[in-house]
Amino acid sequence: MRAAAFSLAGINLNTLTEYRADLTRLIESSRPELAVLPAYSALALGLGTGAFVPGPDFPATFYIFSADIQGWNDIFLELHGGLAREQRISLAAGSTIELDKGRYYHTAYCFDPAGELCCRQRQTHLTRAERDYDFDRGEELFLFDLEGADGNIYKTGLVVGNDARHPEVGRIMACRGADLLLHSGALKAGPNCWRQAAGMWSQVQQNQFFAVEAQFCGNIAGEEFGAGSALIAPCEITPESSGYLARGYPETPVISARFAQGDRRQIKQKYPILDLLNREAYAGLLHLYSDREKGEE
Amino acid sequence: MALNGLKANLFRRYLTWLTRPVRIKKHLSSTLPVKKDPAPVDRRRIRAAALQLEFRLFKNPLDYAEEMCRQTAKAAAEGAQLAVFPEYNNLQLLGMLPGIEKVEEGSEEDVSLPDLFRYLSPVVEPLVHTLFANLASAYGLYIMAGSYTLSDREELVNRAFLYNPSGELAVTQDKVNLLPMEEEWNIKRGRSFSVCATPLGNLGFPVCMDATYYETFRTLELSGADIVLLPIANLEAYNFWLALRGIWPRVQESPVYGIKGALVGTVAGFSFTGKAGIFAPLELTAGRDGVLAEAQSHDQEAMAVADLDLEALHDLRADHPWRDINLPLYRRYFPEIYGSPGG
Repeated sequence: MRAAAFSLAGINLNTLTEYRADLTRLIESSRPELAVLPAYSALALGLGTGAFVPGPDFPATFYIFSADIQGWNDIFLELHGGLAREQRISLAAGSTIELDKGRYYHTAYCFDPAGELCCRQRQTHLTRAERDYDFDRGEELFLFDLEGADGNIYKTGLVVGNDARHPEVGRIMACRGADLLLHSGALKAGPNCWRQAAGMWSQVQQNQFFAVEAQFCGNIAGEEFGAGSALIAPCEITPESSGYLARGYPETPVISARFAQGDRRQIKQKYPILDLLNREAYAGLLHLYSDREKGEE
Repeated sequence: MALNGLKANLFRRYLTWLTRPVRIKKHLSSTLPVKKDPAPVDRRRIRAAALQLEFRLFKNPLDYAEEMCRQTAKAAAEGAQLAVFPEYNNLQLLGMLPGIEKVEEGSEEDVSLPDLFRYLSPVVEPLVHTLFANLASAYGLYIMAGSYTLSDREELVNRAFLYNPSGELAVTQDKVNLLPMEEEWNIKRGRSFSVCATPLGNLGFPVCMDATYYETFRTLELSGADIVLLPIANLEAYNFWLALRGIWPRVQESPVYGIKGALVGTVAGFSFTGKAGIFAPLELTAGRDGVLAEAQSHDQEAMAVADLDLEALHDLRADHPWRDINLPLYRRYFPEIYGSPGG
């Protein structure tokens, strides 16, 4: 399966038409079956088009955006569903803020090649800042089937923002059969390569699935974001055993590569990490988390 | 070389005589310093040493003892309060067996490596205890002596030992997650992880493959560990990315300090590689790369030394920028993955 990760660098966000045209051009040039957009895509587009006015800083902008999100989400989702249908690709549209029964979530969406919503995933682990924004945590992890042109079905999940740094997410998905995770991320600009290695790269290596990591590149309310997108696989089936099939700089608009399901299965057969995990030894883990949480209250 | 005949039994008796505690102690007495009190503990500056040992076969157990003594002295000379040895630190003692080179080269002898581990276990275990208890006491250090393949009743275990500066065995740890090769050898899996409270902080010490899984360090950190000591012996060609898997990501996921002792070198076609090192959460390293110190070489003797700041670690944990716990999520999925305690 050919997959591509987009950073939104260089994409014109001034109007929905220009955004769609730029994204279409990039999709057509990289010709993926699956395209993944970064986190904060809805926020960046909302600010770019003038649908929202930025606040004095990022947190204030976030609150302004959250306060009037419903109508914008309809536009955002319709646009990306239409783009997926038009290009006949699976499209992970990045993330937005979801309002449900008075609660706010950081949520990613994916559309199938018919333009239908095939997955909605709420972020399950929040940063300290996100907890300060009064976000709520998602409490479920979803997998959906994604059919590649190679005839393989990839059990696929979405990983939103800070969930990349929480290995529980990857392990739960892997144990439920995930072949591929799509991560929409946004990291503040800076030396991010080790932070990223500690995130999706590590999750891939300890679970032997594939991952697409799309990182947002741009400025939101004075906050600069920039990390390199990546397509990640178990080290053994990547050039120089790096674990990377493709890697971009923050300002690289799109990177793409092909996932070979057969190669991954071979590796899993030869060295079945999850089969070798002594699961019983960790039966007490839940109690330990519970004790820790009680201790923090 | 058959291991169950009269000759084999007599030879093992001879080895037992060679490695008897009084003989080891007497030999060490000429080498060891006068017993040292442990250095006062400053929780902002715990000095640790990760040892990288070059694999060679010792025909004479006294030479092995001297080598372990030399390594400990090297760590002590750097002011280390804690020293970490590698996994399979018993392999070098296979040299006590005459003809071992032929067995390793795949001769016609019908003896497997697990057979050899079982045969030598009654010799190796007391030797290790005598040796490291005396080293820890003499140098006033905590020593994680690495791991050893030993008999535990009818079964084999890959067991690591922690000695305190009083010269006592503080706690042991059996490897919990095994390599396919070790499963073929019928090594018994450990069932849980120990955390040992010490003045240097709470110490955990899983073994090599245990660091493949986030659950190990999570369990240790949630159980109070501040420093995780990891003995490794990797039988693969060195590659930066392959070597990065293991302790480095685990320390990033669960904020603890990590100290890796490595066995390296080639004997009879077997090549061990790796870099001993001392690791910390990105936020606690100057280069934001998670590395406090690391050996330069991946195949020669080396040592990495660094200072650990427990107060900084606790400050980071208390006000962590991105860590979170989602109990409802774990309650939904963990019983299916890990089962229930006792269930």
